[in-house]
Amino acid sequence: MRNKLRPYLTAFRVRALLETQYRGAALGGLVTQLFFGLVYAYLYAALYAGSDPAGLRATVTYVWLQQMFFRALFVSDGELQQQILSGSLAYTLCRPVDQHLYWISRNLAAQVVGMLMRALPMLALQLIVPAEVRMALPASPLALVQFVVSLLLGVFCVSQIHAIGLALTMKTLDNRGLSAMLSLLLMTFSGNVIPLTLFPDSLQTLMRFQPFAQALDAPIRAYLYAPPMGEWLVSVAVQVVWIAVLMALGRWMWARQLRNVTVQGG
Amino acid sequence: MRYLYHAMCMNLKSIAQYRASFLMQNIAQFVMVGGEFLAVVVLMTRFTSAGQWSADEIMFFWGVMQFTFALCECLGRGISTFAYYVGSGDFDTMLLRPRPLMQQVMGHRLDPRRLGGMIVGGGAIALSCARLNIPWTAERLGLTLMAAVGGFFLILGLFLIEATVSFFSVRSIEMVNVLTYGGRATCQYPSDLYPRPLRILFTWVAPFALSMHLPISYVLGKPLFHVPTALVWLAPLAGPLFFLMMTRVWHVGVRHYRSTGT
Repeated sequence: MRNKLRPYLTAFRVRALLETQYRGAALGGLVTQLFFGLVYAYLYAALYAGSDPAGLRATVTYVWLQQMFFRALFVSDGELQQQILSGSLAYTLCRPVDQHLYWISRNLAAQVVGMLMRALPMLALQLIVPAEVRMALPASPLALVQFVVSLLLGVFCVSQIHAIGLALTMKTLDNRGLSAMLSLLLMTFSGNVIPLTLFPDSLQTLMRFQPFAQALDAPIRAYLYAPPMGEWLVSVAVQVVWIAVLMALGRWMWARQLRNVTVQGG
Repeated sequence: MRYLYHAMCMNLKSIAQYRASFLMQNIAQFVMVGGEFLAVVVLMTRFTSAGQWSADEIMFFWGVMQFTFALCECLGRGISTFAYYVGSGDFDTMLLRPRPLMQQVMGHRLDPRRLGGMIVGGGAIALSCARLNIPWTAERLGLTLMAAVGGFFLILGLFLIEATVSFFSVRSIEMVNVLTYGGRATCQYPSDLYPRPLRILFTWVAPFALSMHLPISYVLGKPLFHVPTALVWLAPLAGPLFFLMMTRVWHVGVRHYRSTGT
């Protein structure tokens, strides 16, 4: 078992080490995320206009958590595209590993390390954020545990979505349009542009069950509302179902692509 | 200016060679900015008003900002991607040509994909106008135009800061984005919604409030900051002024420029 997992763990470690090299980008991202967090928080303060302090606090916390863990949504990995263009994909395909799992391991490393490199300093910066727009503590210690578990599942779910994106890249050979579209969907329907909690009540069920909400919205709702165990387990089940569906879809697409892959370049 | 006109025509001709790609990219932009439009609709459905502004008034502010920003990204593509030309050595070629430098940079690229964004912005303006019953006098029309022109030059000036930074650091610094894209995100809503530090930043440092919010608020009949009418007409000039200042700074950068080599 251990031996079988080793290549994937190594792929994970190598990609994780690469990610830690982008400290400058992380620092720049930190300033940007702090700025956007502040702007959104103050905007919501103006929109609530003192009418619903608890609602405002929840929305502000939602915004901050989105800004903190935003990087979990992206892998920013141009490697496959480059390998397709240069033809060196042939060597990667020669490796005795499961291609789908190999790329997922890389995705996960980029997401987790990128996320931690931004989330931890952002958490520290909360201390200097003015009290009226500061994020709230988790609803209960249990809610924090629920948040972490849901977040890990969410990150895993996103890595499946990106693996599907990579399979499509193999098919179309150019991922610019595709990745722009994918990041738009991820940003909007994971609640980064506006909190999903603010959508009209009639759309709430739809919003909670669509795949992109599994990434950050599901964990943030656990953080904010400390749902009863039963309700939380349902949301975890939804996450697991989506992971299974997306993984099956991804594996099928990868298998199809690998059967008739054309190596370019030379 | 004749050079600029000529360069832009050449650009358009080259784009006309790839019609399908042009159409696709425009649709993609349309969907993207359309998504942002829907986000504002969702927000305004939930909250119905923002400070003293109604949903339709917010939509008017939003539309003017989106339209102006998209226009600027379209015509100012050469400036907003200037860092690449420094890196690639294209800028060296420009320095050798006996034509005005700034016009060359501006004429280097067009980004007509942004038409999609302009259509959404323009649509938001039209939609909010239809519901607002603004008595369209020549003065109001003129001020709306002033807001767009002022905003246009202001955003161009902000892109120029990024361009100037690229002389000194090969890697463009992401923090400059806070003023451009952060400015767009912040100032698509009127600045009186924000607390003092942000208001000061976007009034006196990157004067979105002066060049856009003030004239628009006057058009909507709720003038910000209680300034006399004459000043409302003067305020949008902050945009072109900002652009001129940044042009000077950029030219200082040019003097310090040393080629990156080939």
